[in-house]
Amino acid sequence: MSNASSTSALVVRAPRRNLLPKTLGPAMPALILLFLFFVLPVVSLLLRSVLEPEPGLSNYATLLGSETYLRIFLNTFLVSALVTVLSLLIGFPVAWTLAIMPAHWSRIVFAILLLSMWTNLLARTYAWMVLLQRTGIVNKTLMNLGLIDQPLTLVNNLVGVTIGMVYIMLPFIILPLYGVIRRIDPAILQAASLCGATRWQSLWRVLVPLAAPGMAAGALMVFVMSLGYFVTPALLGGTSNMMLAELIAQFVQSLVNWGMGSAAAFVLLVVTLALYALQLKLFGTSQMGGR
Amino acid sequence: MTAPFLQIRGIRKDYGKVTAVQDVSLEIRRGEFLTFLGPSGSGKSTTLYILAGFQDPTAGDILLEGRSLLSTPSHLRQIGMVFQRYTLFPHLTVAENIGFPLKVRRKSRAEIDAKVKQMLELVRLEGFEDRRPSEMSGGQQQRVALARALSYDPPVLLMDEPLSALDKKLREEIQHEIRRIHQETEVTILYVTHDQEEALRMSDRIAVFSKGVIDQVGTGSELYAEPATRFVAEFIGDSDFLSCAVVASNGQSADIRLGDDWLVEGVPLHARGGGRNEGALLLRPERVQLHRNQPAATGALPVRVDDLTFLGSNVHVATTTGWGEPVAIRLPFGHDAIDGLSRGDTVWLGFDPRTAHVFC
Repeated sequence: MSNASSTSALVVRAPRRNLLPKTLGPAMPALILLFLFFVLPVVSLLLRSVLEPEPGLSNYATLLGSETYLRIFLNTFLVSALVTVLSLLIGFPVAWTLAIMPAHWSRIVFAILLLSMWTNLLARTYAWMVLLQRTGIVNKTLMNLGLIDQPLTLVNNLVGVTIGMVYIMLPFIILPLYGVIRRIDPAILQAASLCGATRWQSLWRVLVPLAAPGMAAGALMVFVMSLGYFVTPALLGGTSNMMLAELIAQFVQSLVNWGMGSAAAFVLLVVTLALYALQLKLFGTSQMGGR
Repeated sequence: MTAPFLQIRGIRKDYGKVTAVQDVSLEIRRGEFLTFLGPSGSGKSTTLYILAGFQDPTAGDILLEGRSLLSTPSHLRQIGMVFQRYTLFPHLTVAENIGFPLKVRRKSRAEIDAKVKQMLELVRLEGFEDRRPSEMSGGQQQRVALARALSYDPPVLLMDEPLSALDKKLREEIQHEIRRIHQETEVTILYVTHDQEEALRMSDRIAVFSKGVIDQVGTGSELYAEPATRFVAEFIGDSDFLSCAVVASNGQSADIRLGDDWLVEGVPLHARGGGRNEGALLLRPERVQLHRNQPAATGALPVRVDDLTFLGSNVHVATTTGWGEPVAIRLPFGHDAIDGLSRGDTVWLGFDPRTAHVFC
């Protein structure tokens, strides 16, 4: 299979190669910008992490050797994974509905999605604080309905961070998924149905596998964005479940320990790149970034 | 057998104010190959989709062996279907595609493997088990789709213009394949097409759809020789229509006047209500006789030769009547009447009134 896909990729790519500019001239401004403001800082980050306070890997040893820091790493992955899974579970039905909805309805839903994306992040996060606090509308409603006696603790903990981040990440999963599901011919699902597949079987055996590249692309984006997220965990999370970005901020801002901060940032970068490589290996280049 | 195998009873389908199918009733025998033939928008595909269960009719019923199908959702109807577009599951191999209906029915691995093998033999694609749909040609994909639709031995197979995306040569090849598979499996096939040649080549019977109703059902030769409506006459085969005046009629046949003074007696009449005395005379190009000189005994119509086209075994003669209506005549190559014929000549047309038809 890998053999076949690599040949077909070659066939597809061959004519495109002719369209490439002969030199890098047109891309130079962007490349210079990237070099100055991305490559150089990353390299200096790496250097600081191994040079400060003294040359060596002591920063990494401290970071990976301490239970406190490991717990923060673990918590970062837990929150990111939780947010990714929940976003997928909530986003898939939404994307599907959008894809099969009449166009004038889907346009309205898209407008709502985009509006929420364009609203200031801090404003949205503070809004969640208001909604989720002990005397907030969520707790009040639940108590008035008689579902709970005591207000639930919904902020300054894992629940708050997860709710806030899922809300922010949803569009990033819905948009790529929508694109993939839109391209699935409805006749394929009709064929599945006539073949005897129940709705559930059509979903799991046909629709989900066909949407898998979109799900993977969206999931990776959400997971990676969540790994380095700062604002929402800082505002809605508690001290007991700090995330990596908060730790980095603390190293740099409060402790002015650039060495440790750089090391933590570099670990985050390596993890992100590793995940991207894994995705490329599993789903190939065609589904990635190209859209 | 009391009840017919498959019965379509008074199906109607409205989309808002638009009526896609007005009133369609049809009885299909077990093992029959019946084609829905008609132009796009005539309601043939909608009728098929109602049979498949993708759409509910506004009125009417569908009975399979006497039992109504309408309350059965499509995944329980046990009906096979091959679509116009390629609908193989792109993430599955050919074998997995063909085995899919059995897999969702939770058949055993061994049973699925045996059936897939049998189906691949049936559509002559042995050795393609592990291919992906994207690695196959359109014709091959449709053959796999056919194998998939037949793998669970459905009593009825629906085909919605399955060959319209293929080129002519491939289309004819697969038409023969489908014909052979129909004979081997004895499955009942309902086939939708807008291509009259395809319909004639494949079907036991053809139902001609027009504007949401069936104009006529019959074998190809019945439709050609005895068209019930002008639409059927136009749709099946080549036809010439000449306007004529109905002088007298008894409901079955009519005496008509062509041009100024030629009276033809006893032409089969198809009247659609109203006592109009203007009609259209249907002539089939190969039934028209061509005389170089005005025949003495029988009546004949003088026409001017516009063009002669040599088409291998046939020669087409395009002519025009004195009042400007075109008449095409087809004669076998080497026929006496065309020897030395040239443009601008005047010839006389004759025909047997019993083989012609008048529509009014």
